[in-house]
Amino acid sequence: MSAGLDRVILEMGSGVSLRSGNYTRAACRAVKDAIYHSSLSFPRELGLNIEEDLVVEVTIGVQDPGAVDADAVRAVLPHGKISVSVVKGGLNVPYPEQGYTTVIASAAIAAFADMSRFRGLDNPDGSVNASSAKGSS
Amino acid sequence: MTLKRMVLQMGQGTDIRGADSTKAAERAVRDALWRNNLQIADVLGQPRDSMDIQVTIGAPRSETIDKDAVAAVFPYGKVEVLCEEGGLEIATPGRDDSTLLAHAAVVVRMEIPDDNSVNIGDGSDAK
Repeated sequence: MSAGLDRVILEMGSGVSLRSGNYTRAACRAVKDAIYHSSLSFPRELGLNIEEDLVVEVTIGVQDPGAVDADAVRAVLPHGKISVSVVKGGLNVPYPEQGYTTVIASAAIAAFADMSRFRGLDNPDGSVNASSAKGSS
Repeated sequence: MTLKRMVLQMGQGTDIRGADSTKAAERAVRDALWRNNLQIADVLGQPRDSMDIQVTIGAPRSETIDKDAVAAVFPYGKVEVLCEEGGLEIATPGRDDSTLLAHAAVVVRMEIPDDNSVNIGDGSDAK
């Protein structure tokens, strides 16, 4: 789905299910951790259609990939054409004395869009417009 | 070319002991930056140092923050550091000390060509 598009950002996060061993819950929390530490301004600033032009690829890592409800994970994402894949990863922390396992999920969320028409036309070598230079303070 | 906001990244940092606002601010910036792999400069065909970065720190005793130290956390870009009173300070019981919490809001802006109607090919050479 993302073929030919530019990956603009990869957001990462982690989430846990402390005592219930719920892999879907840990995955959904990992996705929220990943996406709610940033706000993607570029689609609106550049006039992109946030539902049609933004392709979102979610990868979840947990120790038991088959236990994750991908539709529930997809429902956490607010925008774009979303795909979810679940692979073996994350981390399980067993607590045999109390008979439960803490499940840690990792999430990586890649946002793709066709940015080719926004590449600098008047600076093909990538040089910076000097008038925009700002000193650090 | 117009400077447009591309992304806002947020993070939180603490200084558990010592109440050093600069330390908490640096950690908040790291928390904000190292959650994301931001490729906006690459896909726009611009050098990463062309990113216009404005970071606002919200922390207790914001006037004590070493802005140069905060700016030094950024691996690239033109960085401007602003500090305002915020975050949290929680006294440590039984000890003349406190725990600080700082927030960082990092706004990344890029120069965007005003004429977006011209497509310069499929961009395959820029990847």
